[in-house]
Amino acid sequence: MIASKLSMSTNNYKTSVTAVLGCTALVCALSSPKSHADEHPDSDHLNQLRVHGFLSQGYVKTNKNNFFGKSTGDGSFDFREIGLTASLRPLSKLQLSGQLLHRSAGEGSRGGIRIDFGFLDYNFINTPDTEFGMRLGRMKNPLGFYNDTRDVPFTRPSILLPQSIYFDRTRNLALASDGAQLYGESRADWGNITAQFGTVFPQVDDRDTEVAILHRRRPGDLETKLSYIGRIAYEQVDGRFRLAVSGAQVNAGYDPAIDDELASGSFKFTPLILSAQYNAEKWSITSEYALRMFRWKNFDHPLIDQKLTGESIYVQGIYRFFPNWEAVLRYDLLFTDRKDRDGQKFHMQTNRQLPAHSRFAKDLTFGLRWNATPAIMLSAEYHRINGTAWLSPLDNPDQSITGRNWNLFAFQASYRF
Amino acid sequence: MLLASFFFVGNVLPADNTVETVVHPSVNTEQLSKNLLRSIFGMRLRTWQDGLPIRVFVLPDDAPLHSLFAKRKLNIFPYQLRAAWDRLIFSGTGQAPITVQSEEEMRLRVSTTPGAIGYLSGTQIDDSVQIVHVDQ
Repeated sequence: MIASKLSMSTNNYKTSVTAVLGCTALVCALSSPKSHADEHPDSDHLNQLRVHGFLSQGYVKTNKNNFFGKSTGDGSFDFREIGLTASLRPLSKLQLSGQLLHRSAGEGSRGGIRIDFGFLDYNFINTPDTEFGMRLGRMKNPLGFYNDTRDVPFTRPSILLPQSIYFDRTRNLALASDGAQLYGESRADWGNITAQFGTVFPQVDDRDTEVAILHRRRPGDLETKLSYIGRIAYEQVDGRFRLAVSGAQVNAGYDPAIDDELASGSFKFTPLILSAQYNAEKWSITSEYALRMFRWKNFDHPLIDQKLTGESIYVQGIYRFFPNWEAVLRYDLLFTDRKDRDGQKFHMQTNRQLPAHSRFAKDLTFGLRWNATPAIMLSAEYHRINGTAWLSPLDNPDQSITGRNWNLFAFQASYRF
Repeated sequence: MLLASFFFVGNVLPADNTVETVVHPSVNTEQLSKNLLRSIFGMRLRTWQDGLPIRVFVLPDDAPLHSLFAKRKLNIFPYQLRAAWDRLIFSGTGQAPITVQSEEEMRLRVSTTPGAIGYLSGTQIDDSVQIVHVDQ
């Protein structure tokens, strides 16, 4: 009990440190006396404050299964993203950045405002050939091509990111973490190499994360533990080819309550993501492959203590068929356990209680996007899905009544400044 | 005078589609490599060689001159620049360039902001800004 309180307070302490740092960055940036100094052309000491933001409203309709709210029937308008980003560069080597995010997306994200990131960035070296620096605070996790900006509609190729890699159901674990990050870049004629490496504490205090890791809500608490994350990316100087390898080791522990059926076990998640993209004037092709290794240990519970490796891949084509119009076509595959791709083993293990189709998802997506102005975007997409592996259990509490073959239609209007 | 401007317009404006990289006179550079220019407009390089902060000015994403500049001077497509800037802005790891609404504003801002860099069509260039040649 004392241990529990102690760890609670360490968690709170870390959270408050980050919150303070994030708020400081944001408040400094926002309250800076010469906001929009850029509007004074004669000022020779622009304070380099920048404020940006975005706002989106989505609509999701499914024929079976709930996604981002109660999407069956008439559909759900419970999908909104509002963000405010500020950055201040008082010295050319120093930048403070912060982002506040409000996100509503079904039971997994029920609104509220959180500090999406808030950190201090010190750029030790920045020459034409080399860059090296350090960041401290809460940072977006550098995973794959899209995780760093996953909640900004304009940066996504479609309304929903490929769910096999960018799960919305465990998003908070993958989203951002608190700690320190070193970064560097090498720039040469044959291309740029960018590397980031961080030692961090992931965010584990969400209902979604708890359900994803421990199958359902538990009386005890998940505790964040020291974790590692990194990404190395290569990009041709003209940006045609982009390649990236990202990986992480995310650690968490469980602090049981009194009379808990679980012991104080540990959870380790080790994702590895390979990413590749080719960009031409009218089209782009992107593919990402992920191996996701999970290990639960010492929970003293046969259904929880296990080891499994999941696998994901998608291939996506974008065609810019008309100025400001884009079409996207994507096939996205997810297997929760690569040794049980059809989910039959799992189905038997759960005494046929849970469906085999909850262990895979094959999603064929077609979408259209119209950039009406540089600030306004309208997008629509249709998904034909076989399997429910990335459905949120919070929106679908009874998995035995989920449908295997289903479709999803989404519409989103987005504004930025 | 009228005649002169008529000739000027008649000779240079139509169909000549030129775009030049321009800087504030304080920027002590007459030549830049294409890669360096890409690092600057990609918002990766923060200062000039003498330590003066670089201030990048661009026209809106859908301005024809922006597209011409990106393709001809940087050899990249405008959507790639936008994607790179958005990654910097919304992950907090960098800053976006300053967007101006017209070439007149571009010239004014570049000519009055030390460390500024931008671009103008040939006919819009005057003595208030300095042209920078880009190595192919």
